[in-house]
Amino acid sequence: MSEIIFKPCSLKEMWEEMPNLPESRKYMAGGTDVVTVENAGFPSAECWIDISDIPELAMVREEKDHVFIGAGVKLNDLEKYPFIKKYCPALLAAVHDFASPSLRNMATLGGNAGNASPCADGVCALVSLEATIVLRKGNSERKMPLRDFFTGPKRTKLEKDELIYGFEIPKKENLLGQYFKLGPRAFFGISKVAVALSAAMDGNKVKYASVAIASVAPVPLYAAKTSEYLTGKELTEDTILKAADMARGEVSPITDARSEADYRRDMSGILLERALRSLTD
Amino acid sequence: MPCNETMKKDFSVLHLDCTVNGKHIRRDVPSNRALLDFIRLDLGLTGTKEGCGEGECGACLVLLNGRAVNSCLMTVSHIQGKELVTIEGIRGRKGGLHPLQETFMKEGAIQCGFCTPGIIIASEALLRRKPDATLEDIKLELTGNLCRCTGYEKVLSAVETARDKMAADPDYKEAE
Repeated sequence: MSEIIFKPCSLKEMWEEMPNLPESRKYMAGGTDVVTVENAGFPSAECWIDISDIPELAMVREEKDHVFIGAGVKLNDLEKYPFIKKYCPALLAAVHDFASPSLRNMATLGGNAGNASPCADGVCALVSLEATIVLRKGNSERKMPLRDFFTGPKRTKLEKDELIYGFEIPKKENLLGQYFKLGPRAFFGISKVAVALSAAMDGNKVKYASVAIASVAPVPLYAAKTSEYLTGKELTEDTILKAADMARGEVSPITDARSEADYRRDMSGILLERALRSLTD
Repeated sequence: MPCNETMKKDFSVLHLDCTVNGKHIRRDVPSNRALLDFIRLDLGLTGTKEGCGEGECGACLVLLNGRAVNSCLMTVSHIQGKELVTIEGIRGRKGGLHPLQETFMKEGAIQCGFCTPGIIIASEALLRRKPDATLEDIKLELTGNLCRCTGYEKVLSAVETARDKMAADPDYKEAE
């Protein structure tokens, strides 16, 4: 564990106390990543700031052109909101495949993004939903496309003390979403590769498509070329196979303890094929 | 419950105020105390187990405000102002054993017993939320619990029996 843990009641209290805390400090929400890393023998900071119960971070709301999801919302709470079902189907599909039911009672999307693992299921789905990440530091706020937030494995553009405040997901009508994950077991595994697909159809024509792939690049990958290729196409067998090949070309996987580069590359295409076929089921 | 007052200037101490197994607890604890150590060592409630220490096995599950969570990945700050229930706090509506505990024993859904507290907690969380849970629901709910003895079949059927028993018992019908 860290040497001390500070648990503020509100963001106001947190920013006020910040100067009194040790310089070496880190945010902790559910603890599922922060504590695991610490337990594995890698101390992260002298002080953890427990933000797990700050009401402002647990906000979820529907705005005119987007859905806002607070960084501290527990994953299992997301399905309670009809507008999340409607506008973020890929996210709910990813949550279903995310860790275990009890870990989903703890884990948050803010933590998933802050941990910045290329295999993050929640983040991969949010990238396919073209989410914007909202960051706060004291009274200042900045936003950026989530796909630009990551700079490498476990690295982000967060500045010191900057807090992940939430995510804005643009509202798109008749959006379909899929999350196909390949892990060491059917449930509760870290992915070898995972594909998030958000799409809208007009009959058999793809009106809109956005593809993100996890565990195949230094960051959760937005498959820009594949997404662009699919948009506006008739969803024929030929389109599906070409898109799958294109996805294989966009990934840059490595071989590590979880899987091999070639397998990951090939399965990126296969999972995208499956996701695309499911659109017309 | 007011969440602060709990922390005055001394960040190394948490003025813990919570409920454990129905009992109100107020005491000062080191702010960085691991929740599992607090439960097992400070409170002496050793029914909650440490299996893997990384959230994979579910032996450490407890109920926090009625939801199952992995206590091995939490700190004592996570339970501030909340209601914690460990396996020691699971009992029947009229005292005695809970239907889950009864059926696990009766149907032999236990061998070494190390995973059992966690599995009972996960099953209780599910049946509270969904008294008519299907076999598929039970399987999904237990995806975070590993048992290396029973092969799961007896566990699953014991949870189904307990579900049916609870559905037929007016004491359990009035869900919370």
